[in-house]
Amino acid sequence: MKRFAFAVLALAGLVGAVYMRAEGGFLSNGLLPPVPVPFDNPQTDAKIRLGKQLYFDPRLSSDNTVSCAKCHDPRCGWADTTPVSEGVGHKKGGRNSPSVLNGAYVVPQFWDGRALHLEKQAVGPVQNPLEMDLTIPELLTRLNAIPGYAEQFQRVFGEGPTEENVAKAIAAFERTVISTNSPYDKYIQGDLSAMSRAAVRGMDLFNGKGHCTTCHSGPTFSDSRFHNLGIGYRDGKLADVGRYAVTKYPQDVGAFRTPGLRSVALTPPYLHDGSEPTLEAVIELYNRGGIPNPNLDPAMVPLNLTAREKADLVEFLKALTGEPLKIEAPELPK
Amino acid sequence: MRTRTMKLAFATAACAYLALAALPTDAIPVFPRKYGFNCIMCHSSYPRLNDYGIRYRQNGYQLPGRENDEKTVLESPAPFAMRITGGLTVDQFRNTAGSQDIDQFQLNGLDILSGGLMGRSIGYFMVYPPQIAQSRGVAGQTGTLEMGNVIFSNLAGTWLNVRGGRFEPAYDAFSVKRRLSFSPYEIYDFPGASGLVMADTQTGVELTGYGRCGWKYAAGWINGSSNPNTNPGDSPVDFYVRGVKVFGHGEGQTAGQRIGLTGYVGQARPAAGARQGFSRFGVDASFNYSVCNLAIQYLQGVDNQALAGAGGDFDFSGGFAELNYLPTTSTVGFARYDWVNSPANAALQLSDITRWTIGGRYYFVDNVALHLEYSRRRQCSFTPGLGDATEAFFTTALDFAF
Repeated sequence: MKRFAFAVLALAGLVGAVYMRAEGGFLSNGLLPPVPVPFDNPQTDAKIRLGKQLYFDPRLSSDNTVSCAKCHDPRCGWADTTPVSEGVGHKKGGRNSPSVLNGAYVVPQFWDGRALHLEKQAVGPVQNPLEMDLTIPELLTRLNAIPGYAEQFQRVFGEGPTEENVAKAIAAFERTVISTNSPYDKYIQGDLSAMSRAAVRGMDLFNGKGHCTTCHSGPTFSDSRFHNLGIGYRDGKLADVGRYAVTKYPQDVGAFRTPGLRSVALTPPYLHDGSEPTLEAVIELYNRGGIPNPNLDPAMVPLNLTAREKADLVEFLKALTGEPLKIEAPELPK
Repeated sequence: MRTRTMKLAFATAACAYLALAALPTDAIPVFPRKYGFNCIMCHSSYPRLNDYGIRYRQNGYQLPGRENDEKTVLESPAPFAMRITGGLTVDQFRNTAGSQDIDQFQLNGLDILSGGLMGRSIGYFMVYPPQIAQSRGVAGQTGTLEMGNVIFSNLAGTWLNVRGGRFEPAYDAFSVKRRLSFSPYEIYDFPGASGLVMADTQTGVELTGYGRCGWKYAAGWINGSSNPNTNPGDSPVDFYVRGVKVFGHGEGQTAGQRIGLTGYVGQARPAAGARQGFSRFGVDASFNYSVCNLAIQYLQGVDNQALAGAGGDFDFSGGFAELNYLPTTSTVGFARYDWVNSPANAALQLSDITRWTIGGRYYFVDNVALHLEYSRRRQCSFTPGLGDATEAFFTTALDFAF
């Protein structure tokens, strides 16, 4: 009888503990802060409207086929579904199209950080021969020739289109593309039912055994730093030198900016070359400790995640998906 | 028997209650509190480190590759933590002089820990067990600075780091302070004739280095077994070196495979006369497969005959083989066999030792573990007419840090 009592008590304690454990977890990332707006480019409705039109307008490309929205498609998490996007003339770029979601918080911009902020980034793809392939003079000539644009630029900026004004307008619009109110956001504000048990376990792993927080930290889940995971490293060479192309520092060879993870479930494929088709595949890559190469980030170690732990991590990443944005393609000026 | 069963039932219920009551606090010891991480970022099962924890420690308590982003202790939350273990202990000794059976709830110890960065690449770590008088229900402990050291990191890339003060020397291939079992590694506790207990922390200076190639080294100069209090004129003449090669990806702790060689030479003072030499040589390996880790240590010791008091040199050997099974982040099982082959020496009370240990830990949260362990130790008789000495140890305890 006494042994039976012992067994019941022990079992009750362990079951209770297991139940309670599922509710634990660290909350080191937090809610998104207010969108940072540069003092020389304040947000106005008219500027955002103009930027939105520019963003969706294929006339900003040499053959009038490629808009910003083609590779950063709102229907695809503001990214692209292909490993690398097609630009004008079906030319393919070398890197996966990063999501515009929460781009307002990203400093610096691009996978290699070659632009400091949105205003510097916005007209980069326009001039890239593999993307929109339009020179700035050609761009300004086209915009001036469209009365709807010329009039709007005059009203918003007090002058006609310039490279700076085009960039400012697009940046102003992109600052409205914010992913928020995800199950994770609700959870950390006290709604403990907002995330599944699996997602909560995944959050624990994210901040612990998975080592994810080492780089994916802060409200956007990015440390805005550059790290080498060995992606694309084959036969002793990296297909893309990444950050090194900007800094020329040897330690930056093969390093790429940590992408934010909000709404990441909407934006397959993943990594800078789009080489991993699913979140599960990305986690498997991390579980192996990345791809060994001379510049591998020292934080990369094999994780020994179990199948359930991997699934829990995926559930947590899915819980970072914000509410759908009600942004539709606008009518373009004539 | 019925009384024992009732005690076990009560202990388990009490442990579960305490653990549940502690849950809302979650894990907040020093380093997790600083970074906002869970303990299992660096521990496969607290206190055992994982590969990332190994890298964090060898990088001087800086996140690997993020040295520029680190904050000092003045910019971080108060860098203090405590660790307490306590529970029901049943420890039965037979034929062991001076030992008394224990069969009660017991607070096994309290450690106050502090660690962090004092400046860029200047870290420190401190462990202070305060003095606690032995009383019913409390295992006494001597107040001492068990660890207090400063580490200067990355002085020549990763190949030169200097740690000075009192620290856990690198010649312990498997950390004594971070082992899962309460039962000791016998070979590290075995003093030989020199009195050098390798499980003890040491005062001195240690150089370490490592590279991406998987090679690591450590070299140290320490007091060793010389006692600065009783023989303040004894200058430190104990030196050790250790080389490690890690194969595969990881640190050989929870991933990758690791082998190591350790050599130690030193001098100890016998009861009378001049100091005499002694040496230790060890080989170790850590193998990982899936969620299993096999740790193997073999050590040989040769102590000058003058230290042993009679006969020739005091030669001994021993080691352990430990299997760790880590199926989830909240459970770990361990089993270990320890052995020491030693000459029987009545004066030193040394002889052959064997120990079996088996146990497991369940983590309610990262920093609160329910610990179950059974260990059986046998030491061969070193006195004619006296049988082998045995110890049977069982404990169910809570081990928590906050």
